[in-house]
Amino acid sequence: MTHNRAFLKVFQFVTFFMMLLALYAIFVYAPVEKSMGIIQKIFYLHVPSAFLAFFAFFITFIASILYLYKRDNRWDTIAFCSAEIGVIFCTIVLITGPIWAKPIWNVWWTWDPRLTTTLILWFIYVAYLMLRSVAGENRRSNFSAVFGIFGFVNVPITFLAIRLWRTIHPLVITGKGINISTPMIHTLIIAFVAFCLLFFWLLINRIGLEKMRLKVEEIRASIEDKIHLEHEKQGG
Amino acid sequence: MAGTLYLFAAFSITWLIIFVYIFSISRRQKTLERQIEKISEALRDRL
Repeated sequence: MTHNRAFLKVFQFVTFFMMLLALYAIFVYAPVEKSMGIIQKIFYLHVPSAFLAFFAFFITFIASILYLYKRDNRWDTIAFCSAEIGVIFCTIVLITGPIWAKPIWNVWWTWDPRLTTTLILWFIYVAYLMLRSVAGENRRSNFSAVFGIFGFVNVPITFLAIRLWRTIHPLVITGKGINISTPMIHTLIIAFVAFCLLFFWLLINRIGLEKMRLKVEEIRASIEDKIHLEHEKQGG
Repeated sequence: MAGTLYLFAAFSITWLIIFVYIFSISRRQKTLERQIEKISEALRDRL
């Protein structure tokens, strides 16, 4: 337990340090892009957030399969927590994208395949979270596991949207490499590492919280059962 | 100048979302800790 806490503290410190380093790289180290200007720096928030939203939904997908296969509640907890954090990162993508688009495309939003599929992806996982909150205790895990598996179908579609259809969304990372200068690549890598650490830190904390909530519910239910039994004995 | 404003908006909103989420996790954790405390007190009283 103490080791876990110490590990979390170190992890938290490293994440914080990497976040500061990422901010330094974004605002000081990375050059200003010639055609877009300073607004291009949104890219260092937008791209890692998009990657982590996809990654979070992939974890939900794998954990949902493992839950249905093993019937172990721990996988259900991981699937749920990862989906919640995925929605947070997907929200960041859907907000930073239009903020970048307004000065560059002159519109906040356009029904481009990448933008549309990302919005659908966000709706799917918001629906997943809503389903969990309204479904009954015994059905919740099964329903959401099935939803978590089928919902993932939209992730490769969203990822490939800029390759499959004609789109105005920039294609920076291609099979031939990354179409930006070397300091920009370094900055992107630092931002990726910082956001990945933030993602895992959030995931560890969220899973810990969910486990605690389930434990409290379990203790409360067993106490209520005992009280009920005592009342029955006294009545009989 | 307009670019700086958009950039500021993007970074502020991103950090706001992350901080609000961290705050919500910490608030929920405190609520659970209070509930555990209440359950422990109730059990101590019964014993």
